[in-house]
Amino acid sequence: MKTSKSILGLVALTLTASLFAGCSSKESDAPAAPGAADSTPKGEITVITQRTDIVDTVFQDYAKKFNEKYPDIQVNFEALANYEDQIKIRMNTNDYGDVLLLPTSIPLADTPTFFEPLGSMEEMSKQYDGLEEREVDGKAYGLPITINYSGVIYNKSVFEKAGYSEPPKTIEEFMQVLQAIKDKTDAVPLYTNYAAGWPLTQWEAVLTTVAGDKEYVNVKQPNTDDNFVPGAPHYELYKVMYDAAKNGLIEEDPTTTDWESSKADLANGKIGTMVLGSWAIGQIKGIAPNPDDIGFMPFPTNAKERIVPLADDYTLGINVNSENKEAARAWVNWFINESGYPTTEGGGISPVKGAELPEILKQFEGTDIKFETQTPAEEKQKGLVDKIDKDAEIGLWQPDFKKTIIEAGIGNRPESYDDIMKGLNDAWVKSRAKVGAAE
Amino acid sequence: MQAAKPTVRKSARSHTLRYTAAAILKYASLTIGALAALIPIVVVLFASLKTGGEYSSTGPLTPPGNWLNFDNYTKAFVNGKMLVGFMNTMIILIVSIIGATLTGSMIAYILSRFQFRGKKLLLGAFLLATLIPSVTTQVATFQIINDLNLFNTRLAPIVLYLGTDIIAVYIFLQFLDTIAVSLDESAMLDGASYFKIYFRIILPLLLPAVVTVVIIKGVSIYNDFYTPFLYMPKTSLQVISTALFKFKGPYGSQWEVICAAIIITIIPTLIAFLSLQKYIYNGFAQGSEKG
Amino acid sequence: MSYRNQRILIILSFTIIPIALLFVFAYLPVVNMFRYSFTDWNGYSKTFEYVGFENYKSIFTDPKYFSVFKVSLYYFFATFAQMGLALYFATILSFKVKGKNFFKGILFFPYLLNGVAIGFIFLFFFKPDGTFDTVLQALGLDFLIQKWLLNPHIINVSLAGASVWRYMGFNFIVFLGAISSISKDIYEASDIDGANRWHQFRHIILPSIKRIVQLNIILSISGAISAFDIPYIMTGGSNGSNTFVIQTVDVAFKYGKVGLASAMAVVLLFIVVTVTLIQQFFVKEDK
Repeated sequence: MKTSKSILGLVALTLTASLFAGCSSKESDAPAAPGAADSTPKGEITVITQRTDIVDTVFQDYAKKFNEKYPDIQVNFEALANYEDQIKIRMNTNDYGDVLLLPTSIPLADTPTFFEPLGSMEEMSKQYDGLEEREVDGKAYGLPITINYSGVIYNKSVFEKAGYSEPPKTIEEFMQVLQAIKDKTDAVPLYTNYAAGWPLTQWEAVLTTVAGDKEYVNVKQPNTDDNFVPGAPHYELYKVMYDAAKNGLIEEDPTTTDWESSKADLANGKIGTMVLGSWAIGQIKGIAPNPDDIGFMPFPTNAKERIVPLADDYTLGINVNSENKEAARAWVNWFINESGYPTTEGGGISPVKGAELPEILKQFEGTDIKFETQTPAEEKQKGLVDKIDKDAEIGLWQPDFKKTIIEAGIGNRPESYDDIMKGLNDAWVKSRAKVGAAE
Repeated sequence: MQAAKPTVRKSARSHTLRYTAAAILKYASLTIGALAALIPIVVVLFASLKTGGEYSSTGPLTPPGNWLNFDNYTKAFVNGKMLVGFMNTMIILIVSIIGATLTGSMIAYILSRFQFRGKKLLLGAFLLATLIPSVTTQVATFQIINDLNLFNTRLAPIVLYLGTDIIAVYIFLQFLDTIAVSLDESAMLDGASYFKIYFRIILPLLLPAVVTVVIIKGVSIYNDFYTPFLYMPKTSLQVISTALFKFKGPYGSQWEVICAAIIITIIPTLIAFLSLQKYIYNGFAQGSEKG
Repeated sequence: MSYRNQRILIILSFTIIPIALLFVFAYLPVVNMFRYSFTDWNGYSKTFEYVGFENYKSIFTDPKYFSVFKVSLYYFFATFAQMGLALYFATILSFKVKGKNFFKGILFFPYLLNGVAIGFIFLFFFKPDGTFDTVLQALGLDFLIQKWLLNPHIINVSLAGASVWRYMGFNFIVFLGAISSISKDIYEASDIDGANRWHQFRHIILPSIKRIVQLNIILSISGAISAFDIPYIMTGGSNGSNTFVIQTVDVAFKYGKVGLASAMAVVLLFIVVTVTLIQQFFVKEDK
């Protein structure tokens, strides 16, 4: 899971199309990557991962399997607990492993100074989806380790006890369901995971759903001064969070919650809903007494179209200073195509074109719900949203203002929801003008 | 504070009364202090002996169903590769502590026994260094470690821990004050060099202070996870405190296993503390004055 | 070799390594930090620009950066509780007490735990129906029960309390060590003079360990100004528990403004040093 942004969209990952095409399950042997030499690569490589939890277990198995194919490559792993911060500190030096995840906060323009190009977009995009997030001058620098979709994970039996057999579609219906869960069951209607913090950033991922417009995030957002005003997607989205907090529909004491227990509680029907990415579904099903109770629904929206955005998880790339680039490249290809990580441990959709889709999505076949990638920003405006966001210290992909909203909702702060939104909008307008002028 | 009244009563009876009242107060306060220190930790101990299901269904102060359920301990020890962690921690700990004790006591010896220009400045420089919040300088520190080619080696944390901290210097200074200068002088009459005086007379007499410094410094090194995480992420170099983190994160944090790991990490420190503690409290220094 | 030459030799040889370490790992980073504070560096790009005093201007013109210092006041007052408790326990355990070593071990115990453990322990301590509430209930003090971290008026008290719990053992052991360096003869002499424990504390113990106590106070106060780890582990600075250092780290890493964060760190260092100097000035006046 990536707790940071996945703003830059994927090009036409035509999920719906592939659903009906009855996708040909991909055989393991991927075509040789463009630019990779024919001779078998050799050497020792260091792979840096964010998965501290499975680096000693699953990753060791990966290494064994990898070595069956490439016996002359020795793979070492390093797992960083606070990946994004620690890797950036290390990137001051040349020693940041051979294969690593591209930190999302590194500006696009800086990518070539740190990473080796993986191939031309023209060639690579025939084979993979989701390369646009790290495309510079027609070259691809990172392959997504998985492609996530975000929405609401809910417990079906809780919904049934509350009197709803169908998941709600609009925001109003959603609030009614939450209220019914509160009135009719003992479950917490909407669990925010305020204390852990990072789960709150998952809300930003569903902005596209609320906007009902795949162009909003990257194309329209950087060109508006009304990003947080009433009626704007951000305003509507976080109003749900605020109202839920205000009406007592969230956990009793958000400051002492615990992520691990929240998964168990959702699995056991003590929690109704959580806003999360697809990567969490497998984990929650895994500990549920009845895995079929765990469902996925798009975030509620008042928009005409119901769009579930597909977005890259971290992308995998190669250190430009690596001494064993071929061996590193072999690992990247193997990891994405053959390890199974994207759909198993990654919990999303494989970026390999034509790969099989997760079971849970098949229920949406024939419905009005569209799974689509967000339209990427125009060439000139790439990375602009991020720049404005950082300059303004808003933190679209940080927990900070979400926490403020919850604190205000439960009455810990004097500000109203409109005050908070106005503060964010003012900062946005100011920085947009500043960053725009500097461009 | 107990027996705060400064007036000394003459009456034997009221004296006894006061004495008893003071004693009751003393033991009551100690008991409360001990309970306050212990109760939060008991929760960890209980949790470490519970099964996953039991953990999520029972309250924190409910004792575990089976006191001999060591599954979490096995899991923590094996999956956390804690043996590797202990090895690395021991190496780093021993080298840094010996180094830090030597440098600290040397500086203190110089500051206590010699008058020279810049002496105050030196002490001030050590004090000032302690006041720098290190989290704010980590980017710059990282670059230095890397420039010295120490990144991803055990030497990186070692040199960072070696830096003499002011508290150690002060503890040594405190003890040096109580070691009579006449001892140095009589040794000098016998023709001993300053080096000999330091190694043969001062250092052995500083033993109780050394123990205090070793414990304080040792505990902070042992528990520090940020430095090893940042400066030596290589899996084979993991230390005991980083092993704890393996169980925590968005992908899963099994608190009952973490609790077991916490208890495992406490045990060596506790043993070290218990076996060393008698040295801290015995005023070694005074005896030597007479001898 | 003459003692004169020896003297020079020993001063040089005994100080050179510590000074080198001090310079390279403590001051050099500060010098770099100072330099970065005049740039717009993001912490990883190869290039950055000098922006003059822009960063300092931001800090001093935007009230949000300074407003968090009021949180430090909680830690400041907690410091005195911590020192008082540590001195009290160190003193009574320096005299004859039954189960002396037992109490010493237990009081020091919390200091043995690492940060992850502390975060976890206090999460469970403060949560509704958690350890603290259970204990209060058992004592019949139900009316005191609070949402310890949720109530914005209480949260900093709770966190400062956790901080006292964690660090009291450290001060305690340092004081205990220092008190043990006082010669037993002095107590014996004062016993004969009929001095009570308070007198002994006031006139013998306190003056003898004055230097260590002062140092601990200096460190604790600077620690209060730059409070970081407990609130960072427990709440990440949310719900009104944000401190200046947490803010600095956030600015550097969340918003990629290492330049601005360096300027904040410089300001912080300046404040800490000033406070320390004022403190030392008053201590000297006291004499």
